[in-house]
Amino acid sequence: MAQNSPGKVTATVVSPAGGGPVQELRGDELKGARWWAEVGWRHIVGVVAIVYAVIPILYIISASLNPLGSVASTSIIPSQFSLVNFEALFSDPNRPFARWFLNTLIVAVVVVLGQVFFSALAAYAFSRFRFKGRRGGLLTLLLIQMFPQFLAAVALFQMFTQVGEVVPAIGLDTMAGYILLLLGGALGQVWLIKGFFDSVPKELDEAATIDGCGHAQVYFKIILPLVRPILAVTGLLSFVGVIGEYIMASIFLRETTVKTLAVGMYGIIEADRSNNLGVFAAAAVLTALPVILLFQYLQRFIVGGITSGAVKG
Amino acid sequence: MELTASRRTQAEPPPDEKIEQGSSKTLPMVVKIVALGTIGGLAAALTPALLSQQRWAFLIAIWAIVGALVFVYATKRYIPAKYLLPGALFLVVFVVYPILMTFQLSTTNFGDGTRTDKETTIARIIGGSAQQVDGARQFGLSVGQAGTDYTFLLVDAETGDVFAGTADGLAPLDAGSVTVENGVVTEAEGYTLLTKSEINTLSQRDGPLDGFAVPTEGGVIKAQGFQAVELYTPLEYDQATDTITNTETGTTYTPVQVGDRKYFTSESGERLSNQSWGENIGFDNYVRAFTDPRISSDFVGIFLWTLAFAVLSVATTFFLGLLLATALNDDRMKGQKIYRSVLLLPYAIPGFISLLVWSGFYNTEFGLINDLTGLSINWFGDPFWAKVAIIGTNLWMGFPYMFLVCTGALQAIPGDLKEAASIDGASGFVNFRKITFPLLLVSVAPLLVSSFAFNFNNFNAIFLLTEGGPFSPANPTAGGTDILISYTYRLAFGSSAQQIGFASAISVILFVLTGVLAAVQFRATRALEDVN
Amino acid sequence: MRRISRTLAITASVAIFAAACSSGDSGGDATDGDTGGGDATTEAPPVRGDEELVIWTDAVKLDAIQAVAAKFATDNDITVGVQAVTDTRTAFLTANAAGNGPDVVVGAHDWIGQLVQNGAIDPLQLSPSDIAGYAATAVQATTYEGQLYGLPYGVEAIALYCNTDYAPDTYASLDDVIAAGQAAVDAGSVEVQLSQPVGNDGDPYHMEPIYTSAGGYLFGQNADGTYNADDLGVGKPGSIEAAKKIGSLGESGSNVLRRSVSGDNSIALFTEGNAACLISGPWALADVRKADIPYSVQPIPGFAGMNPAVPFMGAQAFYVASNGQNKSFAQEFVTKGVNNVEAMTTLYEQANLVPALLAVRDGITDEDTLKFAAAADGGAPMPAIPAMAEVWTPLGQAYSAIVGGSDPETSITQAGDTIAAAIAAS
Repeated sequence: MAQNSPGKVTATVVSPAGGGPVQELRGDELKGARWWAEVGWRHIVGVVAIVYAVIPILYIISASLNPLGSVASTSIIPSQFSLVNFEALFSDPNRPFARWFLNTLIVAVVVVLGQVFFSALAAYAFSRFRFKGRRGGLLTLLLIQMFPQFLAAVALFQMFTQVGEVVPAIGLDTMAGYILLLLGGALGQVWLIKGFFDSVPKELDEAATIDGCGHAQVYFKIILPLVRPILAVTGLLSFVGVIGEYIMASIFLRETTVKTLAVGMYGIIEADRSNNLGVFAAAAVLTALPVILLFQYLQRFIVGGITSGAVKG
Repeated sequence: MELTASRRTQAEPPPDEKIEQGSSKTLPMVVKIVALGTIGGLAAALTPALLSQQRWAFLIAIWAIVGALVFVYATKRYIPAKYLLPGALFLVVFVVYPILMTFQLSTTNFGDGTRTDKETTIARIIGGSAQQVDGARQFGLSVGQAGTDYTFLLVDAETGDVFAGTADGLAPLDAGSVTVENGVVTEAEGYTLLTKSEINTLSQRDGPLDGFAVPTEGGVIKAQGFQAVELYTPLEYDQATDTITNTETGTTYTPVQVGDRKYFTSESGERLSNQSWGENIGFDNYVRAFTDPRISSDFVGIFLWTLAFAVLSVATTFFLGLLLATALNDDRMKGQKIYRSVLLLPYAIPGFISLLVWSGFYNTEFGLINDLTGLSINWFGDPFWAKVAIIGTNLWMGFPYMFLVCTGALQAIPGDLKEAASIDGASGFVNFRKITFPLLLVSVAPLLVSSFAFNFNNFNAIFLLTEGGPFSPANPTAGGTDILISYTYRLAFGSSAQQIGFASAISVILFVLTGVLAAVQFRATRALEDVN
Repeated sequence: MRRISRTLAITASVAIFAAACSSGDSGGDATDGDTGGGDATTEAPPVRGDEELVIWTDAVKLDAIQAVAAKFATDNDITVGVQAVTDTRTAFLTANAAGNGPDVVVGAHDWIGQLVQNGAIDPLQLSPSDIAGYAATAVQATTYEGQLYGLPYGVEAIALYCNTDYAPDTYASLDDVIAAGQAAVDAGSVEVQLSQPVGNDGDPYHMEPIYTSAGGYLFGQNADGTYNADDLGVGKPGSIEAAKKIGSLGESGSNVLRRSVSGDNSIALFTEGNAACLISGPWALADVRKADIPYSVQPIPGFAGMNPAVPFMGAQAFYVASNGQNKSFAQEFVTKGVNNVEAMTTLYEQANLVPALLAVRDGITDEDTLKFAAAADGGAPMPAIPAMAEVWTPLGQAYSAIVGGSDPETSITQAGDTIAAAIAAS
């Protein structure tokens, strides 16, 4: 696959910095009032925006470090430092945070892989083949995606109850069942990926087909490697979606050991909002950290990826 | 779209490369066979269980899936279907089918008090009225098995007398033929005694001991755990007349319709029980949604706010995002990367965490917002401010996404267009308004529409912040910040009487509404024009 | 064509192989489990359902329930699973109807009306001598339509906590309590006289002592102590008097009651020394003790010259699910496994609730618990009738509005009308 040398193509395809002919003057050449008028105000807007973005985050961090950990005693600047909240998170068997974390990770990884894989398959068909019902199919897909799954929660609950009686392994209160449920959104990223496929020149596949490749080979060996960045982006979007999924999980995962972070942590703050704030904040910090790092790592892909035809936020 | 066009020209020409033929033919074949085989095998493995439990629909569904898979993958035709089928199957099974089921539910009165069928309800009403009357006996219970027959071996807790109880009645047992320890029979001639676990298993639903009762003069003897008690009920159900009669008082109760359900009610209007049962009621729920004045007035108000909420959420996040993207999109600026990284943070934090944290910020006296700003607004207590709070929170959570989107779109706008405009003498703002903004709008319009659809049903944003409140004393069902989906949720899962059938009807209406609105917008933005 | 048939043939053989494997497994299971009652279900169920007794409770009570369940499991040589379930009541109703609920559920007595309405729990048959061992109010609370539906293990009612630095006495009237608190506020020592949760949704549970002392009632009681859904007290003259009293204590009155104090912060205000007194239940005791402030507990007194303050008494109880898998063990657990001094003592020690079994109370020396026992005995069971579900939200809204300065008479009358209409419609 390395001979395809997709790396170079990739970089050009996703780099957010498009053609940059706007390079008139560098900032350091401007002085005084002109600098303020053209560049300086941008920094002011940026700093104000950063303050706005960061205050609630500081509050969470501060609360997680505050040993008293109650609503009234927490401020933005931590007044006391202590790791008791983090310790409490791992010492109480009734809220097995580590277990929830692992559960969430398992669910998220499986669902993300499934969603990206199935979406990429379908997107390829929509992008490359012309068949009856194609347009209709795409529009239907869009429409159905807008229907939140939980409006059908009661029906789904009954369905999984019955399935669970025959195959307990995928019934209620199982992660496998919950994963299947979320895979109902398997085609959720089709639009985004299709937009990207469309931008890959058709001549590529045609050349390969002339060389005697079957459609599957063209897909797996040529197209997929080319669009890896968008797969990463859709994967990330789907990942965030799965981690934040609360309502279905609260209906389907009732046992402590199979809960995801969203349900488990809601339980912490629901049980005693005032006194569990610190523990909740500690959990929030630990949950958000990996996602934030992942975001920063994939940032340059995201900017290009989302705009290339995204449909789902 | 511009982005697409520029990419095309940038893409490298296809690398000239020969793909090896031999190995690449067998591997997919093996994968295909193993996958199909596994699925077929699973279906085959499930079949006996499904047959024995008579779950025909499930059985047909499973084999239909296997059939579809084999049909599509075992031949060389239907190439698009090979790519579409896996995802489509998941979609059909876990989204489309439940939607259809929801529609089916919406034609029933399913909810609190109507969860059981009529037969079960009658059994529960009568069973629930059974009581120990004066002089009722209690027994220590063992169960003896002789062949396939089961017998209650009972030790009277007061007298210590031993009896054998069957469906035919109670018969005294000779004390010599049994061993009694701690008030229960532990050995009995002619019987194999069951263990507690066996009794438990056989008492399960439809098991041989389920509902096992020994008739006596004063009523019936029934098991309660590993004891037995003598119970008496004055109620009797008569199938022919569909009435329940209290044999002591002589009162008869007949089903009387109240709202969407029936109760057993006496002639004087006294209800025997609050238990009712599930029935199909056709389109009554839909009729109610549109004609009940209380609900339809709630509905209109909530619908308008839902629209406003979705529009405002998109508009505020978009304009803030656009403002920031425009401001920060200048190569002369230092530290762009840092700004961008930090501004991404709110988007990277899982939504439920942000919402739960923000909900604490709005407390009037102790919340962060009033603390920092010196205001004393009762945010969640006033419908207006609660709405502001929700939009504000959603803005914080959503602006980074729009910021990213706009940054990407701005950078994709070819620079020569702008240059051409500035040569023509257009000022910065005019330039932006006439050239940049329209171009940008073209590429982000589909995202705005989908963002609208997402917010239209953004349950978390409402539920995790205000739970739909504040409510007025006059109307506990529709809160000041309820959007349609949170209102539906309360109907279906709220703490007072659950109305699942009715909530399902609202769900279906909501589905139609969402679809129509999205379709209208897509038409308006012509976002789908390039689908071909 | 040959190609297709080859694919099919291989597929078929793999399929048969897979089927053979898994049916082999199920054969093994069937012999292990014997007595399979015609149930050909294959693999062993994972995660849940493999216990012979499944109990649902909320996270707070988990440890206590687990302790008694473990004992029962050993005694009977079975496996018992205790699950902490969020929103236990609703989850139980849904799951029980679907046939995959627990065998036993633990919860407050005021669930009984709704649970019975849905046929979700079975009555218990306890001997009269067993019943006599429990506090009368606890039995009254768990009895519904003449049947005992739950086995009570704990009772609770809210009481008055005072920070003895500011309010050192045992008070005969609520007015004195407020006066002591006001003095502390005036001295700048505390921010809040009496921390009682109101919030934006109101809190009828914590307002009940004030409401009853000032003349209000929710439902009239029949001769046998059961509540009469047809006699709604909200909107009646007594309730209007009470509403006026609440208004005078509200934000435009003496500012004792305020909407900014809610369930989120009422306890923390007290434990952090920012409130002179606190109206709360035994659940706050652990936090109060931890907070290291001098405190006292006493039943809530009424207003001077008015009725006594009658808080809601709540009983925590065990229920047998009507649709459980393991009814025999469930009934045995509730009527024998929990119904004894040893188990009830364990529950008391772990859950820190005032025991409902009088024999356990006798051994208690802890002053605070005894005060809470007195508070519970002086309370009235929270109505369990389904009509009560219609009361909470409108009444809470009315309280919140009145505290915020709305006209008491209009607000409470409106709430009464709303509640009456909702009851009539069901």
